[in-house]
Order: sequence, then C-alpha cells, then structure tokens
Amino acid sequence: MSSAIEKGVDGKHPTDGTDQVRELGHDEYDPIGTAILVGIYFLILVALWIFMYFVEFLGNGPTVTGVLLTVVGIA
Amino acid sequence: MNIHTYEKIWLAVAMVLIVGFIATVTYGAVGPGIAMIDDDGGTIDPDTINDDERFSDPGVTHVGGNEYEATVVAQAWSYTPSEITVPANSTVTFYVTSRDVTHSFTVAGTNVNTMVVPGQVSQMTVEFDEPGEYGILCNEYCGAYHHTMEGELNVVPQDEFDLTELSTDAPSEAQLGNQTTINTTVSNDMNYDLETTATLEIGDQPLDQDVTVPAHGSETVEFAVDTTDLGTGDHDWTVTVDGHEESDTLTVTNATEGGDGDA
Amino acid sequence: MAMRNAYIDQFPKEARVIRAILWSSFLALTIGGTLGLIQGLHRTNILRFIPSQDYYTVLTAHGVLLVITFTIFFLVGIFTWAVTTSLDRGVEDIRFTWGWYIMMVIGTILVGVSILGGVVEQIPMNADVLFTFYSPLQAHPAFYIGLVLFVVGSWLAGVDWFRMWWAWKKENPDERIPLPTFMALTTMLFWYLSSLGVAISILAFLLPWSLGIIDSVNPLLTRTLFWFFGHPVVYFWLMPAYMLWYTMLPKISGGKLFSDPLARVVFVLFLILSTPVGIHHQYLDPGIAEGFKFIAMTNTMFLLLPSLLTAFTVVASMEHGARQRGGDGYLSWLKALPWRDPVFTGMALAGLMFAAGGFSGMINAGLNINYLVHNSWWVVGHFHLTVGTAVALTFMAASYWFMPQLTGKELWNRSVALVQVVLWFIGMTFMSNAMHRAGLFGMPRRTAEPQYQGFNFEPAVGTVGEINAQVALGAVLLTISVYLFIVNMVLTTVGGSSSDAIPDNTYAGTLSGPEDSPVILDNLKLWTSIAVVLVIIAYSLPLASIIDAGGLFGPGIDAWKPSVVADPTLVLESIRGVMF
Repeated sequence: MSSAIEKGVDGKHPTDGTDQVRELGHDEYDPIGTAILVGIYFLILVALWIFMYFVEFLGNGPTVTGVLLTVVGIA
Repeated sequence: MNIHTYEKIWLAVAMVLIVGFIATVTYGAVGPGIAMIDDDGGTIDPDTINDDERFSDPGVTHVGGNEYEATVVAQAWSYTPSEITVPANSTVTFYVTSRDVTHSFTVAGTNVNTMVVPGQVSQMTVEFDEPGEYGILCNEYCGAYHHTMEGELNVVPQDEFDLTELSTDAPSEAQLGNQTTINTTVSNDMNYDLETTATLEIGDQPLDQDVTVPAHGSETVEFAVDTTDLGTGDHDWTVTVDGHEESDTLTVTNATEGGDGDA
Repeated sequence: MAMRNAYIDQFPKEARVIRAILWSSFLALTIGGTLGLIQGLHRTNILRFIPSQDYYTVLTAHGVLLVITFTIFFLVGIFTWAVTTSLDRGVEDIRFTWGWYIMMVIGTILVGVSILGGVVEQIPMNADVLFTFYSPLQAHPAFYIGLVLFVVGSWLAGVDWFRMWWAWKKENPDERIPLPTFMALTTMLFWYLSSLGVAISILAFLLPWSLGIIDSVNPLLTRTLFWFFGHPVVYFWLMPAYMLWYTMLPKISGGKLFSDPLARVVFVLFLILSTPVGIHHQYLDPGIAEGFKFIAMTNTMFLLLPSLLTAFTVVASMEHGARQRGGDGYLSWLKALPWRDPVFTGMALAGLMFAAGGFSGMINAGLNINYLVHNSWWVVGHFHLTVGTAVALTFMAASYWFMPQLTGKELWNRSVALVQVVLWFIGMTFMSNAMHRAGLFGMPRRTAEPQYQGFNFEPAVGTVGEINAQVALGAVLLTISVYLFIVNMVLTTVGGSSSDAIPDNTYAGTLSGPEDSPVILDNLKLWTSIAVVLVIIAYSLPLASIIDAGGLFGPGIDAWKPSVVADPTLVLESIRGVMF
C-alpha cells in the first residue's frame, strides 16, 4: 500500500552504526539551526552581490551606455 | 497551509533579496546609464555587407565634437579593421556585424561585450575616458580557428589622435632634366577641416606646402620635383603630414637611357 | 528475520530496465568526464596532444554526453523508480518502457557517431557545433535526428508515468498524488512545454536545412528557440536531484521531510516559471529589444524563490534527522549527521556546492552585469557547480543506494565511495573557483587556446598561471573521482552475491504531510495552463519581432559546416577573394 511505503520503515543501512535516539514530531521540532544557516547564507549573498555589482562590474572599465529614453524604447 | 514561522520569515527575506537584485540592476540602467544591446542596429543581409554604407569601408569616423562611429565586420577568424584607434574622452558608437557565423566582439578586461549574429547589426555606445590598450577577442565559438580570432583597441591621448590618411602617387623613375611630380592625397575623416602642412623630403631640400583638407574629404598636394637638382641615381623620399609618413625611392636616369627625351 | 524487500524484489522487471538505463547514464558520464580532463589540460597549455581544432569536437562530445545523455538517462531511470515505488504499481506495459529506452539509445548512438566523425576521418560526418549547435554552424543530419530520437524517447517515458498515474487515480480517486510521482509529473509537464522550442528549431529548420530541403535559416530565430529550451533544461537536470534531496535525503539523515506542501509549491513554481526566462541567455544578443530582456530578468529573479525555499526545507529536514540522532545545540547538531555514509555526504556536499552555484546564477540573471560575465569562464565555473556537482554528485551519491536496490547486492566498498564524493567536492572547489576568477578578467569559455598574440589578461588578484594550475589540478581530481565511482558501480554489479542486508525500498516520511497542503496544488491542468500563458506572454512578441525583421528563414545565410581545415591562410585568402 502506498501509505505504508510513504510513512516508511526507516531502512537501516547495514553498516550504519548510529541509530535514532529520539522521535521529534511536527509540533516538537523547531529548525533553529536551519534558520541560522540560511541567515548566514543570506548575509554572504548580500555581501557578494554588492561586491560583484559595485566593485567588479561597475569598476570594470569602459561600459556600454545609452540614454534612458532609448533604454525604455521611447526615443 | 501550515508553514513554519521561520520558513515564512525566510520566504519574506528571499523576496527582499529578489527585489533587491532587480533594484540594483535597474539602478545600473538609470544611474551609470548602462544600456543593453538591442534591436536598434537593425537587420542586414550578409551578402550585401560590401555595399552597405556602414560596412563597405569599416573603421572609425568622426561624427562631431567628441563623438565617433566605429564600424566593424567580424568573420571567421578576424575583425575588419583588426586595429581600432579612438581618442580618450570620446563617445564611440560601434556597429558590428558578421559575414558568416555568430561571433562576439569583446574588449577583454572591460564591459564592452556583444554578440555578433549574421543578419543582425549590433549597435553599442561606449565612453572612453582614459587612454589604454586593449585586446579584442571572440568568445563565441565560430569554427576550428576560433581561438586565433583577435584584434586591438587603442585609446590614445586626444592630442595624438587624428583621422588623417595619406595616399601618395609617385613615379619610380624619372629622366634627368624632366619635371616630375609626387602627388599626395591627404584624406581627413574628422568633422572639421584640417589645416596643416605637407612636407616632402627628397635630396637635401625639404619642400613644404600648406594644405586645407575639408571635413570627411581629401585634398591632393602636388610636389614638383627638380630632377636636375637631384642628379642621377636613387633618391629616397618621404612625405610627412602630421606625423603620418609615406616613403619610397625615385630613380633618376640619364636622358640617353630608355624612352625618348630631349638632350 | 524479515524477507528482503528491496526494489528488485518488488519490481524485478522494472529493475532490469532501470539498470540498463543507469548503465547508459554511467557510460556517458565516464566518457564525458574523461574528455573534460583532456580539455582542462589542453586549454591551460599544460598538456596538448590533440590539435586545437579537435578541441571543439571533444568539447561538443563533453557537453552533449554530460548534459544530455548522462543527466537525462539518469532522470528517466530514477523517475521510473520514483513513480513505481510511490504508486506501488508496475508500469502499464514493460515493452513500451523498453521501447522508449531503446529509442533513446539509438538517438545517442547517432549523435555520438556524428560527433566522432570530427576526429575520425573514416566517418564522413561532422558535428563540431557544440552542445548549443547555433546556426549557421551546421552539423550532419544524423546529429539532429539523434537528438530528436533521444528527446522523443524522453517524452514517451513521461507518457509511461502518466499512464500509470491515470490508472492509479481510477483506483484511488480521493488520494493526493504521492510526492515523488507529483515531482516526476510536474517535471515532465514543463519538459513537454520547453522542449517544444528546440523541437521546432530542429524539425522545422535545422534538420531540413542540413538535408538540403531548405536553403537557409534565421540564426537569431533558431538561437532563440534553442534558449526557449536551453534554460528549462537545467531544471530538467535539477528536478531529479531536488526529488532526491526532498524524498531520500531526510530519511538518510535519520529524519523526515520538513514539509510536503512546500515541496509541492516548489515544483509547481518550477512548472510555471522555468520556460519564460530563456532570453536571459541572450542578454547581449542584437535583434531583441531591451524590454523583453528586462521581462526575462524579472521572471528569472523570481525563479530564485523555489530554490531558496528548497534550501530551507531540505536543511530543516536534515536538522530534524540530526536531532533525532541525538544532535543538539544551535549548530553542533551538524556533527550528529551520518557523515560516514557516502550517500548522505555526497548529497550534503552537493547541496552545499549548490549554494555557491546559486550565487553565481544570481549574477548571471542580472541584466546589465551580464556584460561582465557573458561567455567568460565565469559561466563555466557556475554550471560546474550546478549541473556538475549539485546534479552529478547527487546522482553518484544516490547510485550508492540505488545500485544495491536494483541488483540485490551490497555496495562493493563504502570507504571508496566516501573518498569518491569528497574528492569530487575538493576537485570542483579548485576548478570552479579558478574558473569564476578567470571569468572576471575576461578569460573566454569554449576556446582551445586562450593565449593571445596582441595582449595579455590582467588579473586584479593572482596570476593566469596559478589559475590554470588549479583548473588542471581540479580536472585531475575530478577524473580520479569519476573512475572511483565507475569502479565501485562495476564491482557492485558483477562481483558479490545477493545479500539480504539490503534495506527496504522506501522513501522519506513527512513531518507535515500532503493532507496539510491545499488540494489545488495537485491541479496539474491549472498550473500547466498558467505555464503556457506565461510562455506566450514572454515569447510571442520577441519571436514575432525576430521573424518580422529578419524573415522566417533569414535573408539567405550560407551554412557553415565545421571541418578540419588544413591551412587557415588558404581559407582566409579564399574568403578575402569573395569579399573584394
């Protein structure tokens, strides 16, 4: 039955030593570690984006420019 | 739907990030005024490139003030012209097209980078502030020798820049005693007249002539050469206009050698 | 002791065909990977033993074998596993399954032989056109026919899974679509939509043109139709990896999937947004108005959302497993994860690398910053992190679980597997990092000899020499790694005997299950319709404008058949003769 497979027995890897020590249900679990990790990732993304755009790109010498009107297709 | 609070926060943070990226790019368009290659260049039939007024004589022309146009034809595996020279403090609009397959026109180490698609003309305007020497490379695979395809872009100080070219028509031989002329056509592709002096050095006496070459036009300078003064033998000559030079040799022969002449 | 309940026990006929499919995939990976080593050593000028003209043949094979053959064979194998397992039923007709697989094999052989003709004189074919085969470069018709057969075979694979789902739905009318099947179906739906672009390009234009039926094509049109497909194909590579991260990785970590509803949302977002973004590969193309490019950018930027959500859900699932295994603290739970399991470590490292690849992808999505990176080695660094690691390393790590399931034999050597995945990660770190840095000073991609006569590259930091050394080092480590992988696969399959210690064929449970997700998410017709509308909005005007300005078949542009040319100066002379 699909439901039996879906809720699945945790198949133990034959040579895996460590086991499940406790069960955490939906209401007991708070992914605080994940929040911290993605928060750090966000800060890295912002820093790298600012560096890439304002230092590497805008600092990369002659650039293709145009009047804003032609950019939006008016002139 | 049940979404954990932390993930809801992350969702909002992700949206802020996305909007921030779009805002930065928009700033680039509005502040520094960066424009994308688009369809302004129009289309072209590659078979008619030689007859097209933009591409029949590719190169740099002066539009007026600090504005220039540079037309370039890309093909497997070279650019025409392969060397492009423009002055510092200029605004150059490039028009680039391809004779055969898709190439790029990329000034290495800068943001000047465009695809060049046969059937299309890539138009881009670039401001060059400082003098510098740049390489041009093709970064779109275009066949077996794609890696050999390169060119040069030179941005020279303003006082070193002109669009003057010389083309000299001179005989290689003249008879002693005959008048002969060396004609130099000076062409000027700037947007204003060029008032300058053409100098011919031959023998020990330089000959000067003032000349005014009209904007986007040419003027021929005729230098009268006195073969009697020179005497027989090989005489190297050089025509110089504004630092541009052309040289060759005039051989003055005796009256009795060859041809019919007076005594 | 319970009877073994591995996949081969539950679905022996399907296991046989999936084994064949995975072997085709692994063969392509091994050959493609080896070619990568040749390229890495050649363009860095460390070791050149082929003429540079042949580099482009090698590059064509490397691209096609790795991003078409390896990835898509793996996908059709793994999705067959996913749908049969989650619906708990076999395929409707196993002969049909073998049929589409064989079609894909024939397609691969045609493509492979036509590419091989670029270096083997006895084969009178040439396909030195690279994975993107832009016209007016023209390949032998066999190349295009082979690609068509391969892609149509993959369409039929989808038909196979839809048929199973429809049959299952009749018997289970009130049930939510099991998550793995949901993922396979939504992926195939955007595959059908997106591969239309390249199918039209080949069938209406490139193939008849290569056969001489039509005289010319519009290069910008065929290029745009390619990229209509060329961006969504990267999600076609990625979705099986995401499926493995959502439905396998939580279980392997010792936990459950954090949220089934959000997983569904992510796949729906990919269904509706993968295709109307292709023009972001054409930011520097003439003939396409800036407004269309801006729309492509905003669509692309929003496409970051499902991947950012995936980062949270997958890491949260891993954290759940770690804490169930006894881990605690804000970040020290990371130590409690099963790092000695190569399946876990491979997928975790692949995910970590994807976070870096995601960033360079965000840069690639930026409209004007594309001037900095377009066609430079930055782009190559980016996709070696994404398809090259997030996808490829996940596939290899997953194979360490799948091959035992499909053969009933234990993995030959777990330590070698663990070394393999770590070596891949280290090799890719060196190589990809160097490629990104090189792109920033203008080093081009797709070039056999990036050493120019008239100028030198000027890195702001470091030197070209050390960058080349890191690329070569990375390439060597990656090649060793891929051989460790293939040896492990071979010895698992041919050596050893059937084992009862193979775990049951299962996938992860959920903390928040499908019953928590709105039923509308399962309304595939709705999401497909929205996807179609967005594609029409994004593409009808640009395509109309290209055709209007340049003609459906172009203004009469000659075909360029790449072939090994003896003397370039002779070619240039003849070209100049034509010019003047």
